[in-house]
Amino acid sequence: MEILRVEGISKHFGGVVALEGFSMVQQENQITGIIGPNGAGKTTVFNLITGATPVDHGSILFMDREITKLPAHRRADQGIARTFQNIRLFRNLSVLDNMKVAHDMKVLYTLWEEMLRLPRVGKQERRIDEKARHFLAYLGLERFGDQKPHNLPYGIQRRLELARTLMTEPRILLLDEPAAGLNPHEVRSLMDTIRKIQEDNALTIVIVEHHMELIMNICSLIHVLDFGKKIAEGEPAAIKENEQVLQAYLGEEV
Amino acid sequence: MFYLKVLEITSLYTILVLGVYLMTGLTGLFSLGQGAFVSIGAYTAAIAYMNFGAPFPLALALAVIIGAILGFLVGIPTLRLRRDYFLLVTFCLSEMVRAALLYLSQLTGGALGMAGMPKRVGLPLILGSIVVITFITYSLKRSRFGRDCIAIRDDELAASMMGINVYAHKIKVFMISSAITAYGGALYAFNILFIEPNLFNWLESAKLIIITFVGGLNSIAGVIIASTIYYSFGEFFRFIDVWRDVLLAVVVVLVIIFRPGGLLQGLELLPSKLRAMRRGR
Repeated sequence: MEILRVEGISKHFGGVVALEGFSMVQQENQITGIIGPNGAGKTTVFNLITGATPVDHGSILFMDREITKLPAHRRADQGIARTFQNIRLFRNLSVLDNMKVAHDMKVLYTLWEEMLRLPRVGKQERRIDEKARHFLAYLGLERFGDQKPHNLPYGIQRRLELARTLMTEPRILLLDEPAAGLNPHEVRSLMDTIRKIQEDNALTIVIVEHHMELIMNICSLIHVLDFGKKIAEGEPAAIKENEQVLQAYLGEEV
Repeated sequence: MFYLKVLEITSLYTILVLGVYLMTGLTGLFSLGQGAFVSIGAYTAAIAYMNFGAPFPLALALAVIIGAILGFLVGIPTLRLRRDYFLLVTFCLSEMVRAALLYLSQLTGGALGMAGMPKRVGLPLILGSIVVITFITYSLKRSRFGRDCIAIRDDELAASMMGINVYAHKIKVFMISSAITAYGGALYAFNILFIEPNLFNWLESAKLIIITFVGGLNSIAGVIIASTIYYSFGEFFRFIDVWRDVLLAVVVVLVIIFRPGGLLQGLELLPSKLRAMRRGR
């Protein structure tokens, strides 16, 4: 079943074309990759889908509903979650609180109840605490709960960002270069983690990545971008052979 | 008598500092317009009581409500802007309110100010208010509201991607802050018994921000301690005149250099935490 449909979205920054007429259809429970050279517009695709930056032209449909004009926090509430290319954890919150923040849009108590610390607040806080600890343990992070994120090793921070997205109760995960800065051993464990997350939570995942081994291994469909335009789409095996893709990465044959 | 007076004034200012804590300390919004809310609170309560014969508790409640409404009206157009513009707009607001109070002399007494309120606010009411406001602030800090404040201070984009409505949250923060500040102003009017348009200028607003930083952005206890020291110090050392400010400036610089996380480094003085500390030793 189709979960996300992007139709001809474009984004210009002044005279610079970041993305031009990009379209994609994402099937549910599939892992899809978006690749392309630096500056090809991959992250822009994520920024437009999540609402971090407004779309110039085109439309985005999520679960058959138009979300093109919806503010970012509403899209998150509907189930679009993401990670960032350069990790964006909240420095002044503990690991546990970083997790809880991502669940706060689902909290039911009101501001008045919160001010007076009525019983309902404590009850729900305990539930959120449990949920946060559950997902920390799920990704093997339980012993870092009370630490501040910037004290943790880089690989752990990446993992924490992944755990945090699960707290939003997502339907689709957008992972922006999840393997950046990881060593080969960590990349392999990341691949297992992504697969595990996908299967356990019946999630749809889109990955932007430079790491070819990861993309070729876990994606069933790949979109290739170059200079803000899509130049190819297909299964990993087909993409590997594609003339245009090879040219974009390696240059013209002489 | 002198000490009682010092304690009253110090406690009044502590309420104002608590007013900016959620906004500046937790959310990282800087306002130079707190003076406007102090004045609005003071004048609303005084006018309601003196000109319209409202009973004292109602006058206090009106001050809080008008303060929150003004916060809402100012927040709507400004909190979408970048933080530095918010700072500028609040600065202008404080000047505007001052000018308005000067020219609406029919109602406010203009430059002569207002006097003749009965003394209805003593130390017990001020201290009681501090306890209640501290409880509310701390309750907010330790659940969703406070988490979201800090998340917004750290990274607005990431916060919105996690489903937080950044704009709406900032408006709520600003309204709560405005309400507390206006309440402080109303208490001031019925304690000092004389108010005039210049009673709280933008420099005073800046001091509230400095105290919040010295106390520590993440510690309500630290902020209360810093505020108490700062304002009582100011009263006791009046005789050294301008050197007082120099001395305080030196202290602020030293704190920023040697304890950049503030006096208490984000620690809250809670019974449970203190016990844990003693056991640790």
